[in-house]
Amino acid sequence: MAEDLVLDTAIRDWVLIPLSVVMVLIGILRYFVSKLMRSSPTPDAKMVKEGQVVIRARNLKVGANFIPPRSFRTRRFYFTNEENGLLHVPKGEATNPQAAMFSDPNMAMDMMKKNLSMIIPQTLTFAWVNFFFSGFVAAKIPFPLTQRFRSMLQNGIDLSTVDVSYVSSRSWYFLNLFGLRGLFSLILGDENAIDDTQRMMQMGGFGFDASKSLGAEKDGLDIIQHEWALPRFEQRAESVLRKLVK
Amino acid sequence: MGSSEKRSKDVMSDIPTFSGENLQNNLKVIQNSRTFLSIIAGVLAGIIGFNGLTGFVFYFVVMLITSVGLMAKAGFSADLYFDSWNRVLFDGFLGGLMSFVLFWTFAYDLVHIF
Repeated sequence: MAEDLVLDTAIRDWVLIPLSVVMVLIGILRYFVSKLMRSSPTPDAKMVKEGQVVIRARNLKVGANFIPPRSFRTRRFYFTNEENGLLHVPKGEATNPQAAMFSDPNMAMDMMKKNLSMIIPQTLTFAWVNFFFSGFVAAKIPFPLTQRFRSMLQNGIDLSTVDVSYVSSRSWYFLNLFGLRGLFSLILGDENAIDDTQRMMQMGGFGFDASKSLGAEKDGLDIIQHEWALPRFEQRAESVLRKLVK
Repeated sequence: MGSSEKRSKDVMSDIPTFSGENLQNNLKVIQNSRTFLSIIAGVLAGIIGFNGLTGFVFYFVVMLITSVGLMAKAGFSADLYFDSWNRVLFDGFLGGLMSFVLFWTFAYDLVHIF
């Protein structure tokens, strides 16, 4: 390439490497801070009970084919009958999750803490990068990009002749932000990644609506087709044992 | 956990007989090995100095090798450990790509640009 740029090694020593190191360290710090701030929610008796019922119904659904049809039917009746089945929620008794959240400020606090522990470091790092490291080429991406990416990647470099694969430090920051996720899941264990996805889930389904999940489980149990598996398992066991004996 | 079990099919009798926790653990192992290998591959590609398309081809090759290795580890009978072959072949493929690009850029810049 004729138009190869020569970058100052000082950029490597004072921008590229420090930025990555800082991002890694902030990620680790965030992990431990969110671990410290995590408050164990005080269980509410009704909530726990409903949760357990849902789990039991789910277990029945998963293991449905391992019990005889009669047992399955009685169990299903126990869960889903319209008078006093465990999964049957009478109309009007269902609690409004929004109202429950307002009455319990701890829940809102908890979510806010979680979100803050994520947003604050990101904003701070972004501001830091923007303030100190803007206006020069910091790295070169080893693959070509189209001109469209110029405004995004070469922020602060107002030269249209520079190859687009030379990027400013802000792009390096974003690359770090997304690329380090894998590294974190390796060095911090999977807890970190799971935490993030859980946070997303919480944001999506705001508040846990017990009556709704009870209803869903009830429907799921109702439509299940029961087919007892064990008669065929005797043949399977026979074949396995025969193989062992041979 | 429930959904993964539902999808699973047993060869013998078409009935899911999977332990959800073990399945999760196996998937986690796959995920971790893929992430690790994509980081290593990134550093390698950067040091060797792959450019453009060659680098991505390198990534695909490494991921293919990983798949083969994982299958060998599973004794070429993925049905015993996973609910489908696709898990071994494709899980964590795109997640690793970002890590690969990051470390590729990093190593490439350190070795070849400055």
